[in-house]
Amino acid sequence: MSISNLPLMKAISAKVDYLDKRQGVLSQNIANADTPGYQSKDLSDVDFASVMKKLTGTKRVTLETTNPMHMPNPDMTKNTKESKDRWTYEVAPDKNGVIIEEQMVKATKTQMDYNLLTNLSSKYGSMMRTALGRNG
Amino acid sequence: MAEDSSMWNTMTISAYGMKAQSERSRVISENIANASTAALTPNSEPYTRKIITFKNEMDRAYKTDLVKVEDIADDRRTEFPLKYMPDHPGANAAGYVKMPNVNMIIELNDMRESQRSYEANLGMMENSRSMAMRTIDMLR
Repeated sequence: MSISNLPLMKAISAKVDYLDKRQGVLSQNIANADTPGYQSKDLSDVDFASVMKKLTGTKRVTLETTNPMHMPNPDMTKNTKESKDRWTYEVAPDKNGVIIEEQMVKATKTQMDYNLLTNLSSKYGSMMRTALGRNG
Repeated sequence: MAEDSSMWNTMTISAYGMKAQSERSRVISENIANASTAALTPNSEPYTRKIITFKNEMDRAYKTDLVKVEDIADDRRTEFPLKYMPDHPGANAAGYVKMPNVNMIIELNDMRESQRSYEANLGMMENSRSMAMRTIDMLR
């Protein structure tokens, strides 16, 4: 068993993966702020409380994906859907629906969550080191 | 570039956005610089305003959609204004010269918009960069 198999670490990496993906979608939106006909996109929300519950539930047995060809576990964040925003503040005459401010707010939130998770993960690491008897 | 490392791809997306916007600034500067490039002969045309268009295109190397310049086309819809300059070599029989169809106010506002979008892309890049740095800092 490696550290990355611990439920908490799994949950953290799932969320980091999600945030990473979301950041990509948001920069796509900003880059297309002046592309005619482009509508902004976002990832669907993931309920991480339930992801966490599923990962830490001891009675639950899940399928392991050991090969990239395997189908991902349906509870995992890999299944987040990328979809067009259906409602934005305004749409420009050239049918571009990207509001830079709105995207910036989302990006800042993504960054804050990302910082939270990296801090959480390094704290967890130092906790493990303490348990191993080293000065964390 | 590996297709999985979306963190680096994110910066590439922003970089391409900045590239597209700077290309747009260049076209706008060209329009402003040629705002008084009048017709040289009565039958020729003066400088025609250029318009840049963008598109979101799949890039095979990065395996992601990137913003590219679609076309830099001539503005054929706006009429050339006429200016009364009878001694100009391009003047017609009545003494009028065709002037470029460049409207300074439109160009300056386009320039402002382009600048704003460039800065937004820059902000996004800074954002992604700090996220990447956070991850690298976890090694400490």
